[in-house]
Amino acid sequence: MKHLTVCALVGLTILSLVAWAIQPRPIADGRTVLVWVSDDNPARREQIDLFNRLNPEYCVELDPANAGSEKVIVQAIGGVGPDLFDCYDGFQLSAYVKSGIAWDVTDELAKAGIDVAKEAWPAAFPNALYEGRTYGFPTNACTNAIWFNKDIFDRCGVAYPTGAWTWDEFIRVAQRLTVQDDAGRVRHFGFLCDWWNWPQFVAQWGGRLYCEDGTRCTVDGPEACQGIQLMQDLIYKHHVMPSPVEEAAMATQGGWGSGTITFFGAGKGAMALGGRWWLCTLRQYPNLRLGAVESPHGPYRVFRGYGRATCINRSSPRRAAALEFLKYLAGKPYNDLVNHQADALAPVIRYCFTPEFLHDPEFPAEDFNAVWRDVMKAAVPDQISPFVNGNVAGRLFEKQLDLVKNGQKTGAEAMKTAARQVNEEIAKALEIDPSLRARYRAFTQKAEP
Amino acid sequence: MRPRARHREFVPAMGFLLPNFLGFVVFTLGPVVFSLGVSLSNWNLQRTIPFQWIGLENFLALLGSAEFWLYFVNTGYLMLGMPVAIAGSLALALLLSLRLRGIVAYRTLFYLPTFTSGVALMILWKALYNPSFGPINAAIEWLTGWHGPEWLLSTCNLLGLDVEQVGLTLKQWGLGARDALIIMGVWTAIGGNSMLLYLAALTNIPLELYEASQIDGAGRWQTFWSVTWPQLAPTTFFIVVMSFIGGLQGGFDQARVMTAGGPAGTTTTLAYYIYTKAFQEFQIGYASAVSWVLFIMIFVITLINWRFGSRELNY
Repeated sequence: MKHLTVCALVGLTILSLVAWAIQPRPIADGRTVLVWVSDDNPARREQIDLFNRLNPEYCVELDPANAGSEKVIVQAIGGVGPDLFDCYDGFQLSAYVKSGIAWDVTDELAKAGIDVAKEAWPAAFPNALYEGRTYGFPTNACTNAIWFNKDIFDRCGVAYPTGAWTWDEFIRVAQRLTVQDDAGRVRHFGFLCDWWNWPQFVAQWGGRLYCEDGTRCTVDGPEACQGIQLMQDLIYKHHVMPSPVEEAAMATQGGWGSGTITFFGAGKGAMALGGRWWLCTLRQYPNLRLGAVESPHGPYRVFRGYGRATCINRSSPRRAAALEFLKYLAGKPYNDLVNHQADALAPVIRYCFTPEFLHDPEFPAEDFNAVWRDVMKAAVPDQISPFVNGNVAGRLFEKQLDLVKNGQKTGAEAMKTAARQVNEEIAKALEIDPSLRARYRAFTQKAEP
Repeated sequence: MRPRARHREFVPAMGFLLPNFLGFVVFTLGPVVFSLGVSLSNWNLQRTIPFQWIGLENFLALLGSAEFWLYFVNTGYLMLGMPVAIAGSLALALLLSLRLRGIVAYRTLFYLPTFTSGVALMILWKALYNPSFGPINAAIEWLTGWHGPEWLLSTCNLLGLDVEQVGLTLKQWGLGARDALIIMGVWTAIGGNSMLLYLAALTNIPLELYEASQIDGAGRWQTFWSVTWPQLAPTTFFIVVMSFIGGLQGGFDQARVMTAGGPAGTTTTLAYYIYTKAFQEFQIGYASAVSWVLFIMIFVITLINWRFGSRELNY
């Protein structure tokens, strides 16, 4: 027994030593390793390779497994966070700032002569700017336009769309492009759209998610409801967009939410609402003849703007080195690469006004790049309220949109419930958060005559 | 045993026990106690709210939250398949205890869902449930002419549970996402660990009891009812207790992989709600309170099981 114990202990000690000896270590050639939590888009690897080539003293490594704000926040608070992490919307940035993990780089970027507010597309501001301070630099920026499949248009004898158009005009075209087979099944729909683009429909009708100061959810206003109703009507009234069941029929798997880009790439839709970043996937369909045109508009010609920004972990011991990465994001090599990869649009406006952006010699068929650049001017980012947790509000909106999408509620019924629930959440937040309460009081008192 | 000898055994015994005990303290007991403390606080990962001990406020808030009760009902609804799963595992175990050629192969085949990756199975079931091209609806249409339900896309359910409040409504009556998850759960459970436990228990029933029942002229059904079933009572009791615990804690994987808790929150269970509250909405204190309420529910139900179920063990 004694011998067995000693043998087990010795064995375990040896194994521990082996594990210690083979653990991952910083690269021994003196380079500083920076971990960047981002998505596993192949474009990201190229962007990293370029940075590492341009900055041989650093080595950025991608960590896609820990993408997700919950993981970033928990790890950073636990002291094992990444050096750099991505931020996808205004609420995420507020969460990172309020959690104390996003480093305020306003002064550092100013010293380097970089000003996000002057250089980048406004659509990407909420991802990098929070309450007048800068917490990151945009990695790309985007808005939605209409992708169209030229072959389907040719087959149906419909002329390619050219410019600004209304939803009424769009629906007439989409109806001609929705074609059924002999068995009565839809061969391709006139229009495909991800439901998470719903804020664009609200904005185009002049609706708002929240009132100006964010103190109240106003998504139950008649304008917002009209926008949401149009989304439902595109499915059940105009029959140009797939219902959830029809969408599932196009996928290899039934389930809630499937890939609109791949449906479009496979010719299941004649037109689709999407961003320039779709090209990263659509380029893989060699026979797809693509066109792009401005998205239809409602009473207001506005489009949903969004993007991504990269922030620095405030408690990273390598944050000075990480700052070099943000400077790289503001530079020409990175911006040219993003435009070439079609990972949306380069974050810095001036790099989108080059001949290479309009006509990339490697992709001569892509003659539509001007569309995104022009539409970006009318792009508005999603509204957030400082008085409600954006993820809670998102969940409540999503639940109601599920019911609209399923045809179980009208836009007005769903938005009425959503607004009530979000306003209840605002009330709860005010009850527990004194700083929020003070801010709310300041806003509401100012609003009173 | 003399004290010296006892001491001599104590040291190596501790050497073996300590790693496990330390692991238990650090990774199980510690977090459990920590979560109890957190549930009494307003801890939020967004640090705008000053940390405060708020007593039972989280518990009172969740008990008054319509959302919590909706997801509690969802959790309970998904457990409705439990009796079918237990009866199915028993039936399967009885079949697999027969002395047939190649019985080991059959046992392996039926146990396959248990050692196959859960995520892979869920993806497979998503394809099976495709309302337009899924084999399940194809079979339903072939047999009945009816196109079949929308499965994972539908908020309907066999009890007609309302989507937005705890209550029943005819509008929601039908087959939907929750029923789809129940069917999948029953399929997985029938060939799972319960079947193995029943198989092991069946082999432990003394043959003399069967011989005696034969001598008494008992038929197959009488033998099962008077010999097999009472002899399996301890195993059944254990399986019921474990199924209740698993059922109340369950639903996370399916929600994460198959439905994202939708449509309209109909497949969100308490386990998924805890995850959402803690790691997506950063309300750690509230999520810990939900965990503790869930624990209390499990504990009470287990006690009830012991109180009433263990009476049946005196065969």
